Amino acid sequence: MLLEVKACSKGFPGVQAFNKVDFDLYAGEIHCVVGENGAGKSTFIKILSGALKPDEGTIIVNEKEYSHLTPALAHNLGIQTIYQEISLAPELTVAENIFMGHEPVNRFGFIDYRTLRQESKKVLENLKIDLNVEAQVKHLSAPERQSVQIAKAMAMEAKIFIFDESTASYSKSEIENLLFLVKQLSDKGFGVIYISHHLEEIFSIHDRITVLRDGNKIATHGKNEVSEEKIISEMIGRDVCKVYDRQEVEIDFSNAVEFNNFSNGGSVQDVSFKIHKGEIVGFAGMVGSGRTELVRLIFGADKKSSGSVVIEGEEVKINNPKEAIKKGFSLLTEDRQKTGLVLEHSVEWNISMVHICNSDGHFINEGDEVAKVTQMVEAVNIKTPSIKQVTRNLSGGNQQKVVLAKWLYANSKVIIFDEPTRGIDIGAKEEIYRLMVELAKQGKYILMISSDMLELIAMCDRIIVMRQGKKVVEIVQDEINEENILTHSIGGTI
Amino acid sequence: MSLDFDRIKKFLNLRSGNNRSVYYLLGIIIIASIFMSMLDPNFFTVRNIFNVLNQQSTLGIATLGVTIALIAGCIDLTIGNVLASTAAVAALLLRAGVEDGWVIVLTLICGIIAGGINGIIVVKTRIDSFIATLGLMSVYQGVALIIPNGNNIYLQERFLWFGTYRVADVIPIPVFYFVAISIVIYLVMRYTKFGRKLFSIGGNPEAAYLAGINLDINKIIAYAISGLLASFTSLIVISRIGQSQPAMGVSYPLEAIAAAVIGGAALSGGKGTIPGVFLGVILLGLIRNSLNILRVPSFYQYVMLGVVIIIAVALSNIGAAKKSVTHN
Repeated sequence: MLLEVKACSKGFPGVQAFNKVDFDLYAGEIHCVVGENGAGKSTFIKILSGALKPDEGTIIVNEKEYSHLTPALAHNLGIQTIYQEISLAPELTVAENIFMGHEPVNRFGFIDYRTLRQESKKVLENLKIDLNVEAQVKHLSAPERQSVQIAKAMAMEAKIFIFDESTASYSKSEIENLLFLVKQLSDKGFGVIYISHHLEEIFSIHDRITVLRDGNKIATHGKNEVSEEKIISEMIGRDVCKVYDRQEVEIDFSNAVEFNNFSNGGSVQDVSFKIHKGEIVGFAGMVGSGRTELVRLIFGADKKSSGSVVIEGEEVKINNPKEAIKKGFSLLTEDRQKTGLVLEHSVEWNISMVHICNSDGHFINEGDEVAKVTQMVEAVNIKTPSIKQVTRNLSGGNQQKVVLAKWLYANSKVIIFDEPTRGIDIGAKEEIYRLMVELAKQGKYILMISSDMLELIAMCDRIIVMRQGKKVVEIVQDEINEENILTHSIGGTI
Repeated sequence: MSLDFDRIKKFLNLRSGNNRSVYYLLGIIIIASIFMSMLDPNFFTVRNIFNVLNQQSTLGIATLGVTIALIAGCIDLTIGNVLASTAAVAALLLRAGVEDGWVIVLTLICGIIAGGINGIIVVKTRIDSFIATLGLMSVYQGVALIIPNGNNIYLQERFLWFGTYRVADVIPIPVFYFVAISIVIYLVMRYTKFGRKLFSIGGNPEAAYLAGINLDINKIIAYAISGLLASFTSLIVISRIGQSQPAMGVSYPLEAIAAAVIGGAALSGGKGTIPGVFLGVILLGLIRNSLNILRVPSFYQYVMLGVVIIIAVALSNIGAAKKSVTHN
C-alpha cells in the first residue's frame, strides 16, 4: 500500500466539501476518481498535495501517519500532481526543467551540463518519450510539456502521480499518448491517481474507480466490475430538488437569434444553435468543454475561424466586443473580478462603463448618470452604502449584481450569462434567477452557462451539452434531467 | 458670507478612489510652508511664491501628460527627450524666421506625432510600455542631437514673450499656462467619455475591452497628449533660456512620474487625480525651494529630494493600505 486516506473531511463555510472519505492506492495501480463539478475532486487533490489541511482524518504514506501534509512534505513523500497548467520554466530547456532545483554539479559547484543532458535523456527514454532535451520548453506543445512534467516528477523520485483533468482540449492521438504514459508509470510500479471527466479514458486505463458526490465517497469499484450507467447513476444519485421555481414565460418561436458554425480551430468546433425570443437556453458540460470559449467567440472577444450570427433574420458582423455591444449583445463573464469589473473604481463608474463607452457624444452628463445608476442599483437591489463605494469592498453577490446592472443599463437584446451565480450566496442567486426570468419576459434572448446542473435544470427551457469543444446534444423539456445531461457531458453511452 | 464647504468639497471630489492623497498633500504643503516662513521671512513673499510656481510650471505641464498616460496604464519615459527634440525644431524654425504663431503650431504637431509614434509602438508591438519607451528615450535623444547637429541653437532675443511675460507685471505667464492646462485636463478626465475610458483601460484592460472600449486607439491618444504637452513645455523652456540644448529635459521623466505618483497616480494604472498631480508638482518645487533657502548644497539636494519622494509615496501607500484594511 502506497497511500491510505482514512475518514478525511474538509469543510468550507456553508459547504462540506469533503466528508469522511476513505481512499487507498497500491503500488502499480491506476486508481481513477470521478464525480461531477463540485463533487470534491479538487479538494481531494489539494489535500494530497498539501495545499489544504483537512479538518479531520489521517493520511498514511509509507506506513507513516500524518494528520495533514504540507507542499514540502508531499514533495518529500514523492507525491506529484501533474496539472495541465504547468509549473515549468518556459525559457529553460527540457533537461534543465527536468532537473530543476537538483541539477548535477561538478566538483566546483557549477552545473554539469553533460551529465544533466545524459541523465535527462535516460529519464525520457525510460518513459519512451521522444523529445529533444535541448529544446526550450516554450516551443513545446501542451502535451509535450506535460510529458516533461512527468519526467520531472520521475527525476524527483515521485512515487505517486496525480493527474488532474489532464486531457482537456487534447486531440485523440494526444490523449492516447498520455494514457500510454500513464500505463507505463503503473507498469513501473508507481501509483497513479487519475482524475477525469471522460469515462472512455477511465474505462480504458483503470484498475479501480472511486466515485465522489457532494464530498462523499459513494463507491469504489474494481476492474471490470461496473458499467458506465452504474457510474453515472452513482455520480448523480441524489433526490432531485428544485433549486428555484421559475415562472413560465411565453416563448415567441417566430423570432430567433441563430448562431452558425462557430469554431476557433481548437477548443470550439463547429457549434450551431438557436435561441428564441424569451427563451433561456442553457449550456451544460464539464469544465474545459469549450463553453466559455464559445461565448467569447460569439462576443468577438477572441478570434474565430468561422461563425456567423443572424438576429431576427438579419445577419450581423461581429469582430470585437464593441461591435457585439452595438448589435445588442451582453456578456457577463465567468470571472467578475478579472474580466467584469474595475475593482478600484466606484459602483457608479462600473455600472455606467458600458453605456458611457458605447453611446454617442463625447461628454458625460453626470446628473443623468447618477440618476440612472441609482435606478439600476435599486432595480437589481445592490447593497452598497453609496454608489461612490469602491467596488472591491462589496461582497461577491453584490459585485455580481454590479456586473448585471452594468449590462442591463446597456439594454441589450441578447444576454449571455457565464456562470452567473458562481461563489455567491443563495439569496443573491435567487435574485439573479428572478432577474433572468424578468429579462426573458421582456423578450430578451438569454444564454446561460452553468456548471451547476440543478440550476440549469431549474432555469432553462432548453439545454445544450458540450463536450471537447463540440455540441453533443440539445435536450428539451421532459428529457431535461441530471442523468441525461451528465451522460452526454462525460461521453457515456446510453 | 459663509463658504459652502460641502459644495466645494463635492466639486473637488476627485472620485477616482483616492481623493485622500489630495488632502494629505494639501496638509503637507501648508505645514511645510508655515515651517519655512518661520525659518525665513523671505519664504512667504509674493515674489518667492511665484518664483516656485514659475519654476514648477514646466515640469507641471509635462507631468500632466505623463499622468494621462499613467491613468491608462502606460508609462511614458520619453517626455524629456521629446522635449529636447521639439525644442530643437522650434529653435530652428525661429532662426529660419518663421512667425511665432506658426512655430508654436508646428512644434506642437511634432510633439503630437512623437507621442503618437510612442503609442503606436507600445500598442502594436505589445512590448511593456516601460521597456518600449525606455528604448524610444534613446531614439529621441538621438533625434534631439541630429536635428541641430549637436549644437545649441540660440534664439537671438526672439520668442521671449512666450515664457517670460508677466501678467500685470507680477504673474509669470507659464504659471497661467500650467493652471489653465490643469483645469482643461481636469475637466477632460472628469467629464468626457475619453477620460472615463482611460480610467477603465488602466483599471482593468480586459474588462474595458469586453465593455466595448477600443484599447489601442485610446492609448495612442493618451501618448499623443503626453507628447503634445512635452512639446508645449519645450516652447516655454527655450523662451526662458534663449536657446535649445540637445541635453535638456533629462531629469523630466523621473521627476514627472514621481510627482504623478505623489499626487495619487498608480504605476499600475487606473488611478490618479489632476488636482493631486498639481499639488504633487508644487510640493516638489516647495521642497527644492526650501532646500535652496536653507542653503543646502545642491549635491545634497538631490539626495534629499529622492528621500522626500520615497517618503511621500510611502506615506500615501500606507494611507491607502489603512483605508482598504478598515473597509474590509
